[in-house]
Amino acid sequence: MLFPILTQLQKMSSVVKIIEPSGILDKVNVDPLRKKIINEVENGADIVLIDLKNVTFMDSSGLAGLVLALKTVRAGGSQMYICCLNNPVKTLFDITNMNRVFQIYTSRKEFDQFLFSTQ
Amino acid sequence: MEVVKKEFWQFPSDLNVLDRVLSSFEGLNQPFIPQMAWLQCQLALAEAFTNAVRHAHHHLPSDTKIDIEITIYNEALEIRVWDCGEPFDLEARINNLVEDVNAELEGGRGLPILSQVADELTYRRTSDNRNCLLLVKHYQPEMKS
Repeated sequence: MLFPILTQLQKMSSVVKIIEPSGILDKVNVDPLRKKIINEVENGADIVLIDLKNVTFMDSSGLAGLVLALKTVRAGGSQMYICCLNNPVKTLFDITNMNRVFQIYTSRKEFDQFLFSTQ
Repeated sequence: MEVVKKEFWQFPSDLNVLDRVLSSFEGLNQPFIPQMAWLQCQLALAEAFTNAVRHAHHHLPSDTKIDIEITIYNEALEIRVWDCGEPFDLEARINNLVEDVNAELEGGRGLPILSQVADELTYRRTSDNRNCLLLVKHYQPEMKS
């Protein structure tokens, strides 16, 4: 009777992938990130967390790329979250109201707590 | 108004120099400028610069210069960006955008950012056939102990 239990466990736990881009996120380097995100979902990730702790700056083109990725991820039935925005990046999300479109966590710890509470 | 700091830079029309634009700007930061106003101006400068590269200089060689001038007063910051593109009614474009804020989530957020940040925003033809974007941001200077 081990197998049904295992199946149950697998159902309960989601595949979580974490991506940590770095530097400036703009028109030049948001496309590789977007492809990476979509790749993770295609490879079976239920949840993709974009940890932005090493992103120093993001402009509207970088944000546009993330919005596109979010749409693709959600269309595929998966979830995408972001965390660890520094002040310049937070300024961009606030001013464009994208803080209402994305689910944002201030830290990895806060994200882990959210994840734990849903499993 | 007394000028606290004023600098002028020239950059090529290349998105890859955005980090240099940002670090030049960072070098001008003053302790009395509120952080939120400063970060919003930094973002607006990035949008104004990339806008010039991607739109105004779209058909021009990448060594075409983009001139930037930053003027810091006690209670205001001015950003000027000159491009060599065709005349363009950016102010009308922004006014149309304001009426239709949710038009497109994916793109075109550069101009709304400029108008959100700015207390005054103009884009005018100059006598030497260039365009000058002027963004003025007012703030209350902070006393730092």
